[in-house]
Amino acid sequence: MNIALEINGTTEHLDVAPGVTLLDALRERLGVTGPKKGCDRGQCGACTVHIGGRTALSCLTLAATVTQPVTTVEGLSTPERLHPMQRAFAEHDALQCGFCTPGQIMSAVAAADRGLAEPDEIREFMSGNLCRCSAYPTIVAAVRDGASEEGRADATV
Amino acid sequence: MTARPDAPLKVTGRATYALDNVVEGAAHGYLVLSTVARGELASMDVEAVRAAPGVLAVYTPFEPLPLHPVNSALLGRMWLPLQDKDVRYHGQPIGFVVAETFEQARDAAALADVAYHERPAATSFSDGLTSAVDAQPAASEAPPSLTVLADGVASIEDALEASDVTIDATYETAAQNHAAMEPHSALAVWSGGELTVYAGNQAPHLVASDLASAVDVPVDAVHVENPVVGGAFGGKATSMPALLASAAAVALDRPVKAALTREQVFTATANRPATRQRIALGARRDGGLVAVRHDSWSTTTREIGFVEPTSHGTSREWYTTENLAISQKAVPLDVPPATFMRAPGEAPGSFALESAVDELAEAIGMDPVALRLRNNSTAPPGEDLQWSSKHLDECFEIGAARFGWADRTPGGRRDGDWLVGMGTATAMFPGLRFPATVGVTLHDDGTADVATAGADPGTGLLGVLRIVGAESLDVPQDRVVPRLGDSRLPPGGLSGGSTATASAGSATMVAASTVIEQLVALASSEEGPLRGHDVGYAHGTVYALDAPERDPMTFGDVLRATGRSTLSATGTTAPGEETTKHSFGSWGAQFCEVRVHRLTREVRVSRLLGVFDAGRIINPRTARGQLAGGMIWGVSAALHEGIEFDDDGRMSRRDLADYLLPVNADIPDVDVQFVEHPDTLLSDLGARGLGEIGIVGVAAAVANAVHNATGIRVRRLPIRIEDLLEDG
Ligand code: FES
Ligand code: FES
Repeated sequence: MNIALEINGTTEHLDVAPGVTLLDALRERLGVTGPKKGCDRGQCGACTVHIGGRTALSCLTLAATVTQPVTTVEGLSTPERLHPMQRAFAEHDALQCGFCTPGQIMSAVAAADRGLAEPDEIREFMSGNLCRCSAYPTIVAAVRDGASEEGRADATV
Repeated sequence: MTARPDAPLKVTGRATYALDNVVEGAAHGYLVLSTVARGELASMDVEAVRAAPGVLAVYTPFEPLPLHPVNSALLGRMWLPLQDKDVRYHGQPIGFVVAETFEQARDAAALADVAYHERPAATSFSDGLTSAVDAQPAASEAPPSLTVLADGVASIEDALEASDVTIDATYETAAQNHAAMEPHSALAVWSGGELTVYAGNQAPHLVASDLASAVDVPVDAVHVENPVVGGAFGGKATSMPALLASAAAVALDRPVKAALTREQVFTATANRPATRQRIALGARRDGGLVAVRHDSWSTTTREIGFVEPTSHGTSREWYTTENLAISQKAVPLDVPPATFMRAPGEAPGSFALESAVDELAEAIGMDPVALRLRNNSTAPPGEDLQWSSKHLDECFEIGAARFGWADRTPGGRRDGDWLVGMGTATAMFPGLRFPATVGVTLHDDGTADVATAGADPGTGLLGVLRIVGAESLDVPQDRVVPRLGDSRLPPGGLSGGSTATASAGSATMVAASTVIEQLVALASSEEGPLRGHDVGYAHGTVYALDAPERDPMTFGDVLRATGRSTLSATGTTAPGEETTKHSFGSWGAQFCEVRVHRLTREVRVSRLLGVFDAGRIINPRTARGQLAGGMIWGVSAALHEGIEFDDDGRMSRRDLADYLLPVNADIPDVDVQFVEHPDTLLSDLGARGLGEIGIVGVAAAVANAVHNATGIRVRRLPIRIEDLLEDG
């Protein structure tokens, strides 16, 4: 079936079978490989994207059902400028292998949007994103820092 | 600049993992796995599979993909999929379907109709104990059993009998899966007689040679790339999808992508085996160890293969004791193969030994830290080779003060509905090096590459190459470009055995000093800008020793002046004489506080501290990440992870919902400290590895803390709520 997806501000037209997930459409058809397939079952969070500004597991979302704009980790930054959350993840070393990182960052941006600042709130909110390298302590630090920086960045706009 | 060189790529989604490579016309492969645990394939009806939309090829043991024998440098003789009809475990690869799209391959694979001649399978560890056999512990040349007795002592039993205090207990640890977030996957491209394979792994040069054997092409026609790897932990020495995709790409003459599903990862790779360990300790009243006996059983396949070396990895070396007896047995079962997983031997072995030491401390009435220090060894028991640089006492002293160990009371303490306890344990991991070659190339633009085949699956090796390269060339770090993850680079930097930093780091130093010698010779040569002068090198510049008025020249200046774009050298290092003079190991003290709910018996780890003696720390930031990650793995082994089998031999927990891993909310802040004593007897670099030691001892520290909190001694991992119900 023919569908149109708005990915990171660009509208893409593609022909996919009804059973194709948003994750596979992004990765295999559109070359948007930031979102990762860690389980394909909604159990790891590596495929987390934003649909219409809300976090969603792209492996549990059929591409053909998506009507709102999709943002992936690639859509957060410009070639010149990292998103404050991306910079915080790099600076706090909130990653090791990096495979979970695109999903972590999309959830982290959502945590910041909700104004979560207490470590326990952040831990709870970020618990849908597994990190087998277990960078959890630095992820919490990065989310706190990235959130406050994001606030500052917004304030200056 | 200590951030990971690849952090900008990783946080923007631009890091290219195996399956992120997009090539025109790639077909997709999907594996079919066995649904019985033992027997023989009677038939595989794949007509419907073949007829399904988009299907290009179906391979089974009845119509196999041609694969040739592989003698792997890392794994020895490798089992190759689809070559025979034997079924050795539930979830063994028995088919490979290649189709135009991923969905078509997956849907078609589900149509295979498989019939088996099924035979009764043995998957119960406890039932299998009666068929245990002596077995060579993995990665060791030692015999299965080993006894060291003091003069005049006839047997370990006599030594135990003669001890003032003894404890004797049996401990069990569950089988585990590495569960790296990136499932094993590959893209294989066959073009013009060359095979290029993108696959996450721990040593691309070794994987390239395995794949060359398997598909029977010259090794220099195989190119393996893994610039980033989504976690490995010992589980990516080989890759089933890389084997199958490579052979299919050659057979079909088109690129083939293949990945294991998360469920398939649990059986179509290899796991950490389950272990059972019996430990008897005998001591004098003052805590001095008289006798250590440690008998180990590891589950294995029927071919035995990998045997988790729990007693050889711990009791053999850790403490001073007059008498020592260790043994290793295998319990062959019809289960998926086993392999190295983070601290193989040391991780489950330390749960047993360090729980036993805690039990002994209680029996004697001695502080667990004091008991450990009382038996601190200067050399492995019965050996002359002293530890090169061991500061375990300092780790415990700093740790105890920082953690508030003095506040621990024998019965724990109460905080509302929570029972709070503290536990400690020793950590140790051998200080090893493997042969490694690193290339250093100076460029005329003033930058330098530091390159080795190797892999950085999150360990921080890429940053280590940059730091050590910059320091050895005496230039700022931003002038050094580290390169890894390409089988065409000089062979080295295997990510395994906590060896990469010590091995590739010291080879970098050799390569850098060689290239500097060449540069100096070039500068003063007939064609050089400083011809006829005595030439020195400092701060990245070449200068005339005998003409101080002349401006120093950067290496870029020298290259441009001589009309060259680059100057390269390689450096190779390997373990040498040092191993005949000293014993080498990293050491650590683990501290843990747990809170057990009085009524629900839920266990929460509330504090974790590890103090480590790992030689020189090259990059404190990534070193902390490795060690904290390892410590969290220890919590996971203690409270979360465990593979189990149903009665029919099927693995009962094989996805990320049922195979429990800690999530962020399970983990407190983790305090990682170093005592930094460079180990220059191991190598000029002074660094020992730290990828594995973080996990060692943690599960025991958790169990010891649970005992302190509740009075209940749990000797089986993972600790379950039901283990804590008695006395509740
Ligand atoms: S891939 Fe979507 S949650 Fe794991
Ligand atoms: S960084 Fe490796 S899984 Fe999170």
